[in-house]
Amino acid sequence: MAVFPRGTPLSSEIILTSLDSTPCGNGGGGRDGVAQQAELRRIEGNACFKKARLGAAIDCYTEASKPLPVSGTLPFPVQRSSLVLACDSCTAIALCPDVAVYWMNRGLCHFRRKDWTKVEEDSRRALALDDTLVKGHYLLGYAMLEKEEFPLAIKEFEKGLNLLKSTNSAANMIEDMWQVLAKAKYLDWEQHSTEQVWRMQSLKEACENALQEHHFLSGTLAEDSDGSTDEYSEQLKLLSEVFTKATLADTPTDVPDYLCCQITFEIFRDPVITPSGVTYERAVLLEHLRKVGSFDPVTREPLKEHQLVPNLAIKEAVQAYLKEHSWAYRLN
Amino acid sequence: MDGEHQQQPVLPKREVKGIRPWMRPTLLQRRRRAAPPPFFVRSKGNRREKRTRAHYMLGLALVNKQNLAEGIKALEKSLELGRGAHPASYMVEEIWQEFSKAKYIEWESLSRKRASQLDKLKITCKETLRNYTKFGNPDADEPEEQLNEVEEVFRKAAKTDTPTDVPDHLCCKITLDIFRDPVITPSGVTYERAVLLDHLQTVGKFDPVTRVALEPHQLVPNLAIKEAVHAFLSEHGWAYKIR
Repeated sequence: MAVFPRGTPLSSEIILTSLDSTPCGNGGGGRDGVAQQAELRRIEGNACFKKARLGAAIDCYTEASKPLPVSGTLPFPVQRSSLVLACDSCTAIALCPDVAVYWMNRGLCHFRRKDWTKVEEDSRRALALDDTLVKGHYLLGYAMLEKEEFPLAIKEFEKGLNLLKSTNSAANMIEDMWQVLAKAKYLDWEQHSTEQVWRMQSLKEACENALQEHHFLSGTLAEDSDGSTDEYSEQLKLLSEVFTKATLADTPTDVPDYLCCQITFEIFRDPVITPSGVTYERAVLLEHLRKVGSFDPVTREPLKEHQLVPNLAIKEAVQAYLKEHSWAYRLN
Repeated sequence: MDGEHQQQPVLPKREVKGIRPWMRPTLLQRRRRAAPPPFFVRSKGNRREKRTRAHYMLGLALVNKQNLAEGIKALEKSLELGRGAHPASYMVEEIWQEFSKAKYIEWESLSRKRASQLDKLKITCKETLRNYTKFGNPDADEPEEQLNEVEEVFRKAAKTDTPTDVPDHLCCKITLDIFRDPVITPSGVTYERAVLLDHLQTVGKFDPVTRVALEPHQLVPNLAIKEAVHAFLSEHGWAYKIR
């Protein structure tokens, strides 16, 4: 069987831009012929996709889907590619329905067209056939995100991230996945917290009104009786303090300094500590060592890459903090 | 006195003076399980030691005279000096005991005041809410539900003052107590400095958890965790209590 070329990933949305080329050779001479055809269609689709003929791509796919399920190469959400892939994916699916990749490719097509229901369907089919497809999890998670089903989205992204980590994938793919996971977690928190905030606010107002009425009725609200207006205003002050403390975890504020990198001032994701005792973000520090010089950014002591130690305790601290204060997932 | 020196570590010159026989338990003492006498009785140490002692005694005196705030400051200074000179000594341990005792007392009195204030306000709120809703509060939920919510709010507000467990990442893996002077090993695990140094001396030169070979000079102070512990203790004063 001929070897088919792979597409090259682009900088943005790396996960979705790498073209998959998995030949579906499932034994048997006849099957092979079909599989080859399927792959050819897929490659054709890729070419079409590159010329931005999305519709044509999808049509191709749909055409081929008549008796058999249709797969199409997807229009990657990439500047230069187009949807012809979709077309050929469809044909490919028709010819070779058991290949998860084709389903996923068509899902990518729909992704480009922002047709989230179809994205969900296709990615679920793909994952049913092969659970280890990172892109499948990504697509499904994204579809859930767009449909505002945040807990499901978070689950999918976490699965994808675990797969990436266990297979030691490229750092930019892990970065992509992490970013979209953080977005999902933040939106989930936002949804919960707005409701909470509203309830707290109305409860606080009810308490304040009740206190005011109590003082009014007992005649202690009069302006000339200084003693009791003090009591009333003190009570109000304490009440607002109480409500502030109770809602503290849900109130976005600054992330504490010891959980942030000294260079980026963002919360840690993979903290490493240097022999001088200062902790930095691993990726940023490595870049510093490569570009600027082999010394510690803060203490300026000589520093080599092999001297870095992962600060596991701080990593745990960050996780505990994010669990309680999910608003910190918002990336700048 | 010199005869007791059987194993002395090779230290930079200026530190050697600071080490007194009673500060490092010798094999003999350990076998007899004798605790060395309190540091300020025997030592005729150098300037740094004298300053450490001075701040310590000042702190004790102030605390005993109920001047907690000033006393704590002096004890903290003494701790800082003592740790800088010889982190694993009994002196530092003693200072820490007094320091954390004082801190705990400070927290206890403050939290008691806060708790009684909150309780009073909570009772008033619930009472007034009950009456308020009786006289027709159009936006009220089920009155019982509202009262429960108020209870919940006051409970959350008092959360930091409620003793619970110190989070795992702030505790040493050996002592299971909150960190006082955390150091990190090349394997990435963080321990209490004094306890780890003791382990390296008595048990063997390897990391207690990962069992990778480990020398005392490889230890790095985990400044970020130190800050984290400091922040935690300033908010949750109940954690000063030594178990």
